[in-house]
Amino acid sequence: MTTSWLEETLDRLGRRPVCGYYAGGPAAVEPTALAAMALVGHGRVHAADAALEWLVNLQSDRGSLGIDKQHWTPCWPTGWAVLAWQAATALRPHADAQSGSPWSEPAARAVAWLLATKGTAERNNGIMGHDTTLQAWPWVEGTHSWVEPSAIGLLALKSSGHAQHPRSREAVRLLMDRMLPSGGWNQGNKIVMGRVLRPQVQPTGLALAALAGEAEAADHVRRSLGYLDRAVLAPLSPASLSYALVGMAAHGRSPADAGQRLAAAAADALGHDAPPYPLALAALAALGADCPYLRAAKA
Amino acid sequence: MTMTTNPQTDERTDARAEASGRGKLDRRAMLAATGATVLAMLGYPLVRRLWQTPRPVFLARDQRYDGPLVETIRDGLAAVEFDSAWVRGRRVLLKPNLVEPCRDCPHLTTHPSLVLAAAEVFRGWGADVVVGEGPGHVRDTQMALIESGLEEALRGEKLPFADLNYDDAPAVPNRGRTSKLAELFFPRSVLEANLIVSMPKLKTHHWVGMTASMKNLYGTLPGLVYGWPKNVLHYAGIPQTVVDINASLPRTIAIVDAILCMEGDGPIMGTPKPLGLVAIGLCPTAVDATCSRIMGIDPGRIEYLGLAAGKLGPIATRDIPQRGEPWEDLVDPFAIVDVPHLRHLRG
Repeated sequence: MTTSWLEETLDRLGRRPVCGYYAGGPAAVEPTALAAMALVGHGRVHAADAALEWLVNLQSDRGSLGIDKQHWTPCWPTGWAVLAWQAATALRPHADAQSGSPWSEPAARAVAWLLATKGTAERNNGIMGHDTTLQAWPWVEGTHSWVEPSAIGLLALKSSGHAQHPRSREAVRLLMDRMLPSGGWNQGNKIVMGRVLRPQVQPTGLALAALAGEAEAADHVRRSLGYLDRAVLAPLSPASLSYALVGMAAHGRSPADAGQRLAAAAADALGHDAPPYPLALAALAALGADCPYLRAAKA
Repeated sequence: MTMTTNPQTDERTDARAEASGRGKLDRRAMLAATGATVLAMLGYPLVRRLWQTPRPVFLARDQRYDGPLVETIRDGLAAVEFDSAWVRGRRVLLKPNLVEPCRDCPHLTTHPSLVLAAAEVFRGWGADVVVGEGPGHVRDTQMALIESGLEEALRGEKLPFADLNYDDAPAVPNRGRTSKLAELFFPRSVLEANLIVSMPKLKTHHWVGMTASMKNLYGTLPGLVYGWPKNVLHYAGIPQTVVDINASLPRTIAIVDAILCMEGDGPIMGTPKPLGLVAIGLCPTAVDATCSRIMGIDPGRIEYLGLAAGKLGPIATRDIPQRGEPWEDLVDPFAIVDVPHLRHLRG
């Protein structure tokens, strides 16, 4: 059962690794990087080459990658490209032992962009309940830092040997600061005007993945895993379920029925002619702790 | 910029000239002609919008989600002189508010039954109906559909959904020019629609006072380009960008879910406010001004309505013919969160 949906998914991704967010939509950096990682992670290394090369071709002189060919900004997907290139490099060292990885140079340029780019700091005004002076990564340059781009940026820096870089350390502090008091994350507003907001599954899963191995975040992780334990019992989309499972796997946790839930979600998505984006996420979640963006960051 | 002659402007100028003596170009006529030319050059699309759109607002009371909403919407659109024959064969995009749905908070997002009722009305008139939204705080749009109950509803009716956060989005000029943004990126599903129906939930808003059909259109912009939240718009000014978005969209009308509303710390954490109303109009500015009055807020104190007044539509009662129930009978003040930047809304 599991093999069936996964094989079909990987076959689809392998046929069109350069893919978009929806059927017939333009190829985009994030889904293409995720598809490449899914293929690499499942051992279909060469099937990912076209995607990895396509990402290189979309890299700007600054080292960043925008959303797609038409949108060279904003550049928040840059971290995903780094993770895809690093995963490909890490998972096929034999091929690159002599000549070096073809993805090392673009990854290094993208990392340089990440290190040079940060969200805006704002004066704490008492309205926002988070520390507005902390800086990680924004969705769009010139705006505030938010949870998902910060988690993606942190994973990318960790995958590139920069886990102890001050930017990584500040990103860890930012993620800890933005967590809701009872655990879990939303887009990045935990308290506004004195009111605690609600957590969401996808950013929680991604933040937990980014905080893997962070001893100082142990209590944050514990509370957020508690939130996910409850949240995964409700109906979830394939994307949110996938992010949740990877986030839990990052801390050695897996719901008893994770395999069946994932299979059911993916099969439903395949039955509705789902676009490659959620399918790539499901294929990544099937790898659990071996999910390439997790492994690359841990390495 | 191409200089375009506005036939309506010419007619009005001619009428003035005639009144003051044909062929006699006095100072007043010259001023009028000059003013019209300047308007044509600088603000023709906005002025055209204002002049060509009828602005009555229809209010229906005692509405329920399990009630005859199809009839209410059909009657309301007829009352505000919507040309139902015009939509035949045209693309209609229904835009509910799914900013951050939560299955335990029906007062947070547009109720699915109102969306389905609107779809039935427009489909009945021969339109090609699509439901579209780009949730402002939720990157996983499918989760927003699940949590709001809309996914099941759309599947049941085989209504297509356009995920406006991820749709391909070309840039178009910012026709409002109220904020510093030179252009706006709109999803193709929005740009290719012949008619957009803004279907907000009536709520208080802790930054700008109230949110209804105009602010709801933030959700027509893609998160891929603007982020989650659409922080670029906040930095450019919420009132200003509300006006810019409304000025730059294709033809837009409003059907407001004011049956179960939100007061207090809206648009996310407020409390339920049952009102039992549906508001309908062809001019979102006029509809929102009327909703604001019902909430007990002078629309002139809502900054984006002040900016829109006279550009996108009227906010003065004398310029908004009432249909259905008179708004004066429906006023039921909403609690407003007590923060310094909203205190001017009280009293």
